[in-house]
Amino acid sequence: MTQNLDLTDIQGNIVKAYGSSGFFKARYLFLRVDDGDKGRDFVGAITSKVTSANEKLKGDDALTVTTNMAFTYAGLQALELPTASLVGFPSDFVMGMSKRKDILGDDGPSDPKYWDKIWQEKVHIWISINGKTSDVVEERYQWILQQIKATGGVTLLRGHCGEDGNGNAVDDLPYQDASVLYEKDGVTPTAKEHFGYTDGIGDPVFDGQTNNAARVIGRGKLTRSGDWVPLATGEFILGHVDEAMEYPQTAPRPDLLSNNGTYMVYRKLHENVGTFNKFLDEQSKDYPGGKELLAAKFSGRWRDNGAPLVHTPDNESKAEWDKKFAAADDATQKRMLTDFTYNEDISGAKCPFSAHTRRINPRGSLEYGVKDAFHTPGALVDRRRILRRGLPYGKVKDETSDKGNHGIIFMALNADIKRQFEFVQQQWINYANDFKQGNDKEVLLGNHSSKDPGKVVLQVEPGSGKPPHFVNNIPRLVETRGGDYFFIPSIGALKLIAGGLVDPT
Amino acid sequence: MSNIAGKAYAMNVITPIPWYKVWLNRLIFWAALKIPNVLNGLLTLSLIHYARWVIIPRDKFPRLDPSQPKEDLNYSYMLFFSNFNGSWDQYVDSFTFAIPSGLDLFWKMNVKYPKSVPLTPFHNYIQHNQIDTAHYYNAYPMAASNDVKSAKNVKKALIDFNAASSNKSPDEFLEDYNKLLNQLQNDFGEMRPTPIVSLAAQAVKERVMEEQRQSH
Repeated sequence: MTQNLDLTDIQGNIVKAYGSSGFFKARYLFLRVDDGDKGRDFVGAITSKVTSANEKLKGDDALTVTTNMAFTYAGLQALELPTASLVGFPSDFVMGMSKRKDILGDDGPSDPKYWDKIWQEKVHIWISINGKTSDVVEERYQWILQQIKATGGVTLLRGHCGEDGNGNAVDDLPYQDASVLYEKDGVTPTAKEHFGYTDGIGDPVFDGQTNNAARVIGRGKLTRSGDWVPLATGEFILGHVDEAMEYPQTAPRPDLLSNNGTYMVYRKLHENVGTFNKFLDEQSKDYPGGKELLAAKFSGRWRDNGAPLVHTPDNESKAEWDKKFAAADDATQKRMLTDFTYNEDISGAKCPFSAHTRRINPRGSLEYGVKDAFHTPGALVDRRRILRRGLPYGKVKDETSDKGNHGIIFMALNADIKRQFEFVQQQWINYANDFKQGNDKEVLLGNHSSKDPGKVVLQVEPGSGKPPHFVNNIPRLVETRGGDYFFIPSIGALKLIAGGLVDPT
Repeated sequence: MSNIAGKAYAMNVITPIPWYKVWLNRLIFWAALKIPNVLNGLLTLSLIHYARWVIIPRDKFPRLDPSQPKEDLNYSYMLFFSNFNGSWDQYVDSFTFAIPSGLDLFWKMNVKYPKSVPLTPFHNYIQHNQIDTAHYYNAYPMAASNDVKSAKNVKKALIDFNAASSNKSPDEFLEDYNKLLNQLQNDFGEMRPTPIVSLAAQAVKERVMEEQRQSH
């Protein structure tokens, strides 16, 4: 580790995913600033409880609840940041997510006109509460309501779809709740989402984030010698050098406003569970490897334990892997989940080019086996990584139906929304030229159209004489239900914003 | 006016190079074509349709007509000309990440070339010296270069298959057909209009189409 980050200045959600530290419950609030002066007072009040990356999350004297805060461009305008600072923000952030729909592929049922009502409002401030229990989340929520009352000048916006206390569907909730999913016993937390996949295994690691070299394997960047090293801090935090050997160009002036801050993409993604289950059942009828292998081919990992397909391409190798995994200690298990590249599978015969994990992080395989083609194996990958900080929301009541409110609150953090998140979404999920698969979309997240359903090819061993497997009639499995782009300032910058002290001269 | 047609972007960059260094640059180009593997990176970047570098000596700058006065130029020039898929940012980014030393080698003799890393000075250099495309025709607007390569593979393989297997027994035919599918398994990508290269270019296109609709 070469970087010593100022962890007291960086908001805690940037450096760690709270969900993996036992914070299983979350609540997201969105507010409108009605009065700049009072709005800044409100920001100041909340800032006193904003969680830094220096706080202890595990152990005896650890926090039980966290709070973090971010702003849309309109929010920063409403809080009266000087124009000379505002003009320094990148155009993707200025436009906001709904106006980027043609880039993101938010069409058909994902079109912003069908989003939760709150996204018709002027969303200015995002506040997140993550807690170890629902009670501490509620307690912190009540505290925030008190601050709203005390300072005035801001309005908590209603309009989230979800369920009221009696389990009835409503569309005007004042917050978005999220929670890990539990085993059938209702007590044991899992890392799964509603389709049954294990989520968040391969999150990137950047310089300064961890002292544990083992955590970097399969999660940092791949070097020519085959080692993994952390990505440059500037890929994820402003004011630090990035992979292009410069400070991120997306930072507004002054440095005190941007340093140690970053950008967040918030997306509410509804999962069509009924359609998914039906689709998987139908498609696996004529798939030789069976239902679970086919489900793994969609994602790149097996649903039960996240085993990477590259090392478990069939049922026999999976059984072997499972035995080893069950006997391994925690560190070895983590390594087994992340220590692989797609250079072990250049033809896609094990993990197809359409698989989710291969699409969002090709792991240094875009040289296609050409020796030393690029400066580094990850030359086309290392600048396209995103930190994922999200949790599932809602419960599936009927596994044969798409109806209800359940999905993932997806939050991606990056220094450059256009270069990182939007690129992955547009070029790698909804398009496949970099994978030499034309317009074939990723199976799970692609914006497949019901009029013109998608298809993908599941590659087989080249020269084996066997035909590849074609997956046809792929329906829209995931729909966007809302979201926007946010700026997460450092804690120092929050204080400047609250004090009306931002001065770029 | 647009640098974009369909999925392709046309880039023209013309940079001054001191006339007495031109021979060195020619030597570099010559060596790049002779020494194996030097262009591997460029060829592996499959978003590129093609890239061409041409040196224009200072006394050979083209004129549209003999009546056009000859210019008295201080520099020779290097013309870089490329068509590629995706946006300007995506292309220049991919170039600098994948083959920074190759770019530096080809441009190093050029006036005020900043090197390809860090990125922003290189971005500024390319942008400063880029000449926008006034007219750009694309016969296959939905095709990326990989699509063209795949289409050629499929066509040849089908013709060969037809010649070799069309009269075989059903069982043998099936075996050959499965082999054909295996051989072509990475050439079956769909070819469709998305993704849009830029929102600004898309807006221009939609306005033009709307005007055309109204005039009919």
